[in-house]
Amino acid sequence: MSLDVDNLVDAEKGLIGRAIYIDPQIYEQEARMVFARCWMYLCHESQIPKPGDFCTTFMGEDPVIVWRDTEGKVRAFLNVCRHRGNRLCRADSGNAASFTCAYHGWTYANNGCLVGVPHQAVAYNKNFDRKKWPLIGVAQLESYKGLVFATFDPSAPPLREYLGEMAWYLDAIFDRREGGVEVFPGVHKWVVPCNWKLAAENFGGDSYHGPWAHRSAMSTNFSARRPRQNDVQRFHLSPGNGHCVMGRQPDDASDAPEVVEYEKEGRAAVRERLGPRIDLVRPAVGNVFPNFAFNRGTASTIRVWHPRGPERTEIWSWVFVDKQAPGAVKETIRLTSLRSFGPAGTFEQDDIDNWQECTQTARGPVARGHMTNLQMGLGEEKFDEELGALASDFCISESNHRQFYHRWSKLMNTKDWAEL
Amino acid sequence: MSKGCAASDAVIVHDIEQFLYQEARLLDDCKFQEWLELITDDVRYWMPVMGRRYRKGSKGMKALDKDQYEDREFSTEDELAIFDDTKDSLERRVARLDTGMAWAEDPPSRTQRMISNVTVGHGDTPSEMKVNSNFILYRTRGDLEEDFYVGSRQDVLRSEGGKWKLSYRKILLPQNVLSSKNASSFF
Repeated sequence: MSLDVDNLVDAEKGLIGRAIYIDPQIYEQEARMVFARCWMYLCHESQIPKPGDFCTTFMGEDPVIVWRDTEGKVRAFLNVCRHRGNRLCRADSGNAASFTCAYHGWTYANNGCLVGVPHQAVAYNKNFDRKKWPLIGVAQLESYKGLVFATFDPSAPPLREYLGEMAWYLDAIFDRREGGVEVFPGVHKWVVPCNWKLAAENFGGDSYHGPWAHRSAMSTNFSARRPRQNDVQRFHLSPGNGHCVMGRQPDDASDAPEVVEYEKEGRAAVRERLGPRIDLVRPAVGNVFPNFAFNRGTASTIRVWHPRGPERTEIWSWVFVDKQAPGAVKETIRLTSLRSFGPAGTFEQDDIDNWQECTQTARGPVARGHMTNLQMGLGEEKFDEELGALASDFCISESNHRQFYHRWSKLMNTKDWAEL
Repeated sequence: MSKGCAASDAVIVHDIEQFLYQEARLLDDCKFQEWLELITDDVRYWMPVMGRRYRKGSKGMKALDKDQYEDREFSTEDELAIFDDTKDSLERRVARLDTGMAWAEDPPSRTQRMISNVTVGHGDTPSEMKVNSNFILYRTRGDLEEDFYVGSRQDVLRSEGGKWKLSYRKILLPQNVLSSKNASSFF
C-alpha cells in the first residue's frame, strides 16, 4: 500500500508535515520509491584504483560491494550470498580476486560469477547450474568525474540525464583542475539520531543557520569564513530534479591563506575548464538528490546520509582535495576539514544536535500535527538562464528546501520516471 | 617500567599515574583551561579513524595482489583522522565552549573517565616517558542519552620545569562506525 504524501508536503506554500521524519510506513515507502530507484553515490574512483580493489557501502539499507574486476571494470553487487542471504564480504575495503561466504563456502569472483560451491558434485542435483546464481548486480552503474553512482532501477534515466544541470555544479567542485580530485584514505562513519532528510536539506539549502548555529566555530577560527553583508542574490540554486547547491560570491576568498594563494594561481585554469559561469558563482555546498552531499570551503568533504530507520542516519564522510594541489595545500585542507566536519568537527556537532531535536519532537502527535515553515523567499525565486537553475532572490532563502521536498514527494507518489 | 625496577622508577610510575588521574578529573569537572596547562606547546593530539580489513591469509577473501595487501586497521598520520590537533586548535576548541553558542555542549555533557592499565617506559629523550593507558569515557547528555567510548591511549609525557606535561597523545577508539552522535569530549 502506498501513502499519498501530498498532504504532508506543500512545497508551493512552504509547509511540511512532520510525519515524513518519523512515520515508519513513510520510511518503508521511501526505501522502495526513493532509495531503490534513484542514482546512489557509491565511492570515488580513487578509492579503488587497481584491479581487484573493492569497498563496501550501502544503497539505502541494501549492502553493496563496489569491486573493480580483474579486467579493470568497476562493478557493484548486493553484498549478499545467493545461497542463504548471508553478508558475503565483511571488510570495508581491500583487494580481492574472490570472496568466499563464511557460512557454507560459496565463492564469487570479482565479475560476480559463482565459481565455487563446496561438495557440489555429490550434494547437489546435476541440474544445479552455478551460472544461474551469480551475485545480484545493480541495474545501472556509471561514473561522473570520478564519482561512481549506481541505481537498482533499470528504468531510471541515465546518470547524466538524472544529474541534468547539476553536472556543471559537480564539475565546479570535483573537476576544477587537471586530474580532478582524490580522497584521503579513511572515512568518518558515525550514527546520528535524526532523519536523513534533515541532513540532506541542510546541505542543500540552509545558509540561514550558518551565522547563528555555527557562530561559536566561526568566532574561534574553525573557518576563515565570516558572514558578509554584501552576499547578494544567486546564492541558492536548484538546477532541477531535487538537486540543490549553495554558492558564494565568485570572488569569495575566505579560505586558509595557502588555499587562497592556490586558488588565485589556478583561477585562469579553472575558468578554462568550467567556462564563464564560474565568474558568476562559487559553488560551495550541495546535495545531489537524495542523499549524496558535498562541501568545499570551511571543509572539503564528500558525504552520504545512509538511512537507518526514520530516526537514525549513518553519516559517511571523506575529505577530498584537488589531485594536483601542492602537498602543503592538501595538508591544510585535511586539517581544517577534520577539525570542522566529522564526529569531532566543531561545525558538525552543532548541526547534528539540531537535526536530532527536529526529528525527536515529531514523536508527539500534537507537535507532529503542526506543519513546519519553509516560507523564506517564497515566490521570489526565479529561473536564471545563465546559471541554469532556479535561483533565490536573496542570500538566505528556503527556495532549495522547497525544491528538495517537491522532488521527494513526486518520487514517493509516482511510479513512472516519465511522469516526474 | 619496561626495563629495570629501581625504587626511583616506582616513584616515577606513581607520579605519572597521578598525572593521568588528575587530568581525567579536570576534564570530568569541565576545568578545560586548567587541562590545557598540562599540555606542551608542541603537542600532537591525534585520534585516527578505523577501517575493517580481512586478516592477511583470510580464507574469506583471496587477494588479487597479495604482495600489496595490507591489513592495517587504523589510519596513518597523513590520512583522515577524527582528531588531529595542535595546542592552538585545542585552545580554540576550549574557547568555543565558552562562547555561549556551542550548542552541542550546552547544556553540557556530563562525563566520567576511568583510566587503567597504565604502563610506563622510557621515551626518546631523558626528559620524556612513553605512557600507555586504557580508558572508558562515559558520557550522558539530554535526558537519557548515554555513550561509552572505550579505547586506549599512547602518550608521551615530558618533564618541563619539574612537572609532567602531555606532549603527544594517540587515541585509539576501536569502533568502525562510531556509535555516538559526536566526539565532543576530550579523551
